Amino acid sequence: MIAGRGRRIRPPRRGLGTSDAVDFDSMWDVLASSLREIHTKNASKLSFEELYRNAYKLVLKKRGETLYIRVKEFEAEWLAKEVQPRIIEELSQTLLLATSGTQMIATANEKRVAGEKLLRALKQAWEDHNLCMNMTTDVLMYMDRVYCKDFRKPSIFSASMGQFRDHVLRTPLSDNPDDQISIAHILNAVMLDQVQMDREGDIVDKSLLKSCAYMLEGLYETEDEDESTKLYLTSFEPEFLRASEEFYRLEGAKLLLEADAGTFCKDARKRVNEEEDRCRSTLSPLTLTKVKSVVETELIKKNLPEVIALEASGVKYMLDNERLLELELIYELSARVDPKKEELRKAVQARILEMGNDVNKATVAATHTLPKPSDQDGDKAEGEEKASEKPVSQQTTAAIKWVDDVLQLKERYDNVLTEAFKSDQGLQTAFSRSFTDFINAFERSSEYLSLFFDENMKKGIKGKTENEVDLLLDKGITLLRYIQDKDMFERYYKKHLSRRLLMKRSISMDAERQMISKMKMEVGNTFTQRIEAMFKDMAVSADLTSNYKRHVAELGDPDPKRAEIEVNVLTSTMWPLEAMAPSYNDGEDRPRCIFPPQIERIKQGFEKFYLDKHSGRQLTWQANMGTADLRAYFPEMKGAKKTREINVSTYAMVILLLFNDQPPGGFMTTEEIQARTNIPLNELTRNLQSLGVAQKTRVLRKEPMSKDVKIDDKFYFNETFYSQFQKFKIGVVTSGNKVEDSQERSETEKKNNDTRGGVIEAAIVRIMKQRKELSHQKLIAEVIQQLTARFMPDVNMVKKRVESLIEREYLERIEDREPAAYRYLA
Amino acid sequence: MVLRKDQIEASLQEEKKLIEDGKLKEDNPLDVSETFFRLCEACRCGDLKTCQETITEGVNINARDRFDYTPLILASLCGHFEVVQLLLESGALCERDTFQGERCLYNALNDRIRNLLLSYDYSKSTDPLQPLASHITSLLTREHPQTSDILVAAAEESFRLHKFILSARSPYFAKKLSVAPDTASWKLPSAIPPQAFGIAIKYIYLGEISNDVGGGPGTGFSEDEVLEGIDKISRQLEIISLWDGILESGDRRLARQRRTDEVDKGRNQLEAWFSNNVLKHKIILDTARADNVKWDCNNGVFADVLLRADESDDAFEIESPLEEDSLQRKPETKNGIPIGPLRQASRSPSRDGKPRKSILFPVHRAMLLRSEYFLTMFSSAFREAQATEYLHIISMDCSPEVLEVVLQFLYTEKTDFPLEIAIDVLFAADHLLIEKLKMKAAVVISTLGNGSMSQIPTRLDAAETSSPAPEELDIYDVVRAGWLTRVPRLEEFGARYLAYRLESYIDEEDFADLVRESANRIKGRQETDTIELLDDIRYYLSERFRLRFEDSGLEDMMEEEPTIATEAETDIDGKLPEDEGVDMGSLPNGDAARGDVNSSSGIMMKDGSSTIRTLDGEMVGDELEGDAINYQILLGKIEGLLTRLKLDA
Repeated sequence: MIAGRGRRIRPPRRGLGTSDAVDFDSMWDVLASSLREIHTKNASKLSFEELYRNAYKLVLKKRGETLYIRVKEFEAEWLAKEVQPRIIEELSQTLLLATSGTQMIATANEKRVAGEKLLRALKQAWEDHNLCMNMTTDVLMYMDRVYCKDFRKPSIFSASMGQFRDHVLRTPLSDNPDDQISIAHILNAVMLDQVQMDREGDIVDKSLLKSCAYMLEGLYETEDEDESTKLYLTSFEPEFLRASEEFYRLEGAKLLLEADAGTFCKDARKRVNEEEDRCRSTLSPLTLTKVKSVVETELIKKNLPEVIALEASGVKYMLDNERLLELELIYELSARVDPKKEELRKAVQARILEMGNDVNKATVAATHTLPKPSDQDGDKAEGEEKASEKPVSQQTTAAIKWVDDVLQLKERYDNVLTEAFKSDQGLQTAFSRSFTDFINAFERSSEYLSLFFDENMKKGIKGKTENEVDLLLDKGITLLRYIQDKDMFERYYKKHLSRRLLMKRSISMDAERQMISKMKMEVGNTFTQRIEAMFKDMAVSADLTSNYKRHVAELGDPDPKRAEIEVNVLTSTMWPLEAMAPSYNDGEDRPRCIFPPQIERIKQGFEKFYLDKHSGRQLTWQANMGTADLRAYFPEMKGAKKTREINVSTYAMVILLLFNDQPPGGFMTTEEIQARTNIPLNELTRNLQSLGVAQKTRVLRKEPMSKDVKIDDKFYFNETFYSQFQKFKIGVVTSGNKVEDSQERSETEKKNNDTRGGVIEAAIVRIMKQRKELSHQKLIAEVIQQLTARFMPDVNMVKKRVESLIEREYLERIEDREPAAYRYLA
Repeated sequence: MVLRKDQIEASLQEEKKLIEDGKLKEDNPLDVSETFFRLCEACRCGDLKTCQETITEGVNINARDRFDYTPLILASLCGHFEVVQLLLESGALCERDTFQGERCLYNALNDRIRNLLLSYDYSKSTDPLQPLASHITSLLTREHPQTSDILVAAAEESFRLHKFILSARSPYFAKKLSVAPDTASWKLPSAIPPQAFGIAIKYIYLGEISNDVGGGPGTGFSEDEVLEGIDKISRQLEIISLWDGILESGDRRLARQRRTDEVDKGRNQLEAWFSNNVLKHKIILDTARADNVKWDCNNGVFADVLLRADESDDAFEIESPLEEDSLQRKPETKNGIPIGPLRQASRSPSRDGKPRKSILFPVHRAMLLRSEYFLTMFSSAFREAQATEYLHIISMDCSPEVLEVVLQFLYTEKTDFPLEIAIDVLFAADHLLIEKLKMKAAVVISTLGNGSMSQIPTRLDAAETSSPAPEELDIYDVVRAGWLTRVPRLEEFGARYLAYRLESYIDEEDFADLVRESANRIKGRQETDTIELLDDIRYYLSERFRLRFEDSGLEDMMEEEPTIATEAETDIDGKLPEDEGVDMGSLPNGDAARGDVNSSSGIMMKDGSSTIRTLDGEMVGDELEGDAINYQILLGKIEGLLTRLKLDA
């Protein structure tokens, strides 16, 4: 285009100029006929360029509005005159009647065929309409961009979709104003019908349904095309949900009546999956969550508690019969409706408690049906002794059985938890709580558990691989986790451990150490400190002994008959000495044993050696804990070799050595022996029992022969003793770890309570030192919080300790303070 | 994140070193050329037209002058909003957290300019070629409509590619394809991993090449093999810079710079290809026979569609004999492309002796797709999208020159066209829905009459005496075009243009028509509604005069002897503050302006010849007061016009 000369000359430009004299009608005629071509699918001959140019010019010339209206009119006419009649043709009478609800004569098959026919026709119409409108939109792109935007009209596409809605779906079929049934109504009914058939297991054309749902999704109530006003959401979905609700209410009731819990769960899950599939493949994903929640509420939530509680097939039944698959189903369903799975949790917890209590009861019953274990102290008759020994060991077995049972239970429920409940966190804690409850309800749990360990350390782990041992210990440790009174356990464990160590009854020191480290991880450092100290003492003693031996060798002692000595130096605070010699009360000095001179000399030699190294220490000899190896000569023994090596307790050794000084056939009474050795009477009796009464180890002859040892019984050296073994051991009666009897336990408890008192006081002082002032409630709460790792402090005991601290002026009450509070006195 | 001062200094130092080593191109190199000096001057005084001209000449708008100023800093410092806008739109950089960028923001005269600077963040302004590059890259993955014309098969993969891009970008393909233009497939040597070829293709299609070349387990080739393959293929296809690009790495700015260079190079290649092939092979023939042209689908320029533009009507051909000659001189055929069976027979003159000519451009759908119009066209089911034996001829509703501009833009993103055809380009762009070209056209149009409003002759009488210089465009057309194509920028521009020259337009009949049209633009207009155009004009009128009052720094004078403008306003409204004149932004509202008709009509009678007098008739020698009166006179004339048009009863 060429520049004009001067501003008056202006080259006329296409699309410019003031005159609006475009020939609208002729252009519209071209467009209209083209639109018709498009609708009759003859578009391939049309020129996009030409159509676009026409529309463009019309819009540029401000005729956009007219164009817009004309196109809309054209579409409306086309839909009303061409499309709707075609659909009505396909509409069979059966459907009309079914929808108006007058009769239900049609058979399922007829209904389905008729319904599918309608759906197919609608789908076809919809697809055609979409195709045509896409092309129309292409042509009228400029109008959409300019006119519709400027005048805030919906785009021609949305407008024509609205036309489809109004002129095809929503036009009443009859002119009768009372009868407002339109294709939309029938469509809804047909679709619901098809879904119902699908649910009942009939085969329906899913893709057809899907495309109709898709159509409804593509249509909106208004031309604004607000997402929430999709026809699918406004007209179809509510009815669909209502129908689903109804269906599942009936289904739930039916299932509860007819089926067991397992079937119910399977069916419910199947239904949920079906609905999900249906939403994906047949209807719209939009409905997914909604219909799921319908199924969940109607079918699952409302029925689940009853299902869980079902007597014959409910959760209890499943648990008892290890129906893991069904449990898993139940779990899934519960998780669906209740993130906390309250019902399931309660049911399972109740069952665990029940079973746990059964175990407890069985154990108690086992101990009570047998004769009450008699007191082992004092001088009882030999026969009675024998009789009482049996129940004691039986009780130990009962203890171990209890632990085994609990472990088995635990294992079983762990299995349920991982296999069926997907290791659900909430359920896991609930399980733990149940276990804690019933384990702590059983008052001997700490002792039994420690016994269990003891038993395993002594015998159980023999021949097991490292992994198996590890597993076993882990199991025990899990139970330890459940035990609240951990200090009680510690006490028992130490007692049992000390025996194991001193008597060298432990099979594997590795296992012992492993156990310690496991406990350390589980309960904490302070818990194992003392136990570790015991191990340390053992190690130090071993060193010491070998050092001493070297020392002796250096001295060059010529005496070849000199006895060898092996010493365990135990730190008195770390070892439960009183537990090992229970008959002595605290503070009362233990009567010193009088050793034979040759032993006494060695003892003094060692004492000198030790005190040279560690000045300021005091050595107390615990003769009741040691053992000795003796070589004895029995002159009258059968066989060639008349010497035997005997392993006996220290006391027994002292006693036997006394007979060295006796002439052959000489005797000593109990009293005499006691006077010469100063062995406590009860210990003496016990040793004499094993030396003189026990059948196989009768090194001494007793007169009269009876099981009990009386104070004036006479003992002779049994020269005719015979043992087939070259080496043998004479055990002391009741040296093993046994279940405590009630007296012992009450003693242990008392001691334990004393220790607890100290621990509580320490905790109170620690807390108050830090806080200076604290109310009573808070103090109690903090004390409990601090101590729960070790034991469950009794509130009354805490109160008493506070009182005592106030008396001793560690604390004072703050006056006029409500609620009560304390102040720390520095 | 704000860097500490020492960190900034360190990074500046590092940058300087890189630049000295020649590794990094300087963002703002020193430029002492004459053109750049002119640009700087224009930026200082807000001369929009010179700015546009110098930018079109290709000056580096990110250079700096000897005082270390960049044009953008100058323009924003001096407060020329339109110039700043133009610079930013043309690719001037204002990146936060850079030395020059922060300087620019800090120096901006007012918040309006500062916000404008901020709104053009780096990604928008950095690379004007990015849309082109991303379009070409997208061709690789675009499924619909189908535009590829060559299938390259590698081991398992196959690439659908475009011959014209291949031959534009790779000398190897250019040679190969010029020998055998109808090749429909090409087989990749099996030694080269498909991944390597994929990267080469991505490179050819102006995609960003990542450092990770792929390969490794599962792909059948190790990374080294892929690299080797790239090396081979880049040598075979003669695209050595691909290999260089793969080898280089590291620095963000270097990478960005390399990318920019690469895209620029690609654009230049495309441009060369465009002018050597598309433009060279355009066919000029009589309109009557244009529809009969038959081009085979396989042709030397790999075109897959013909665009046809007709010369304007016969009446105007008289005015453009020169141009037609030049068009006809263009080479007509090359590579033996059949132009059409009727070509030889078409020499017979039409009844006028000068038959109307049409021009056909052989073009590629792949590039046309950049316009949504063509995208829809080729995606639709209409005739244009059907496959046929011969190429479709699509006639375009514009002149050949305009079509060429449009094509140039689509192929190369370049937009230089003279002011004369700017309006036509605007309409064509509107028609084809190419928003960016529309904006460009609007920018070009706004340079009309030196667009710089603040720079026109100051004295009205002077303006009146000297007859206005001939302009390339009719301002009425510009305004109307702005309305029709919905470019507010043009409406504003028109109003400003008119306001600054109102004295020469106010009495014209065309102006009255325009005002009437503007009034009619508001549907269901109420009597109280204002006329948009006049409001704008009033606003710019006030800007034109107020600016001068303020510039003189004589506000006190205005307060002592209130100008008629303020007096008139206060008379009517009574509530406007005295110093209203200082407030640049306030629009003298319609009521106020209308209200003073009575009082000022008297002045018009008395002072028709613009003698410098005040309201009392006293002669004042002050030029400023003269301006004030002139302002009143012009406002009065507008009122008169409204009365005549009965728009404001």
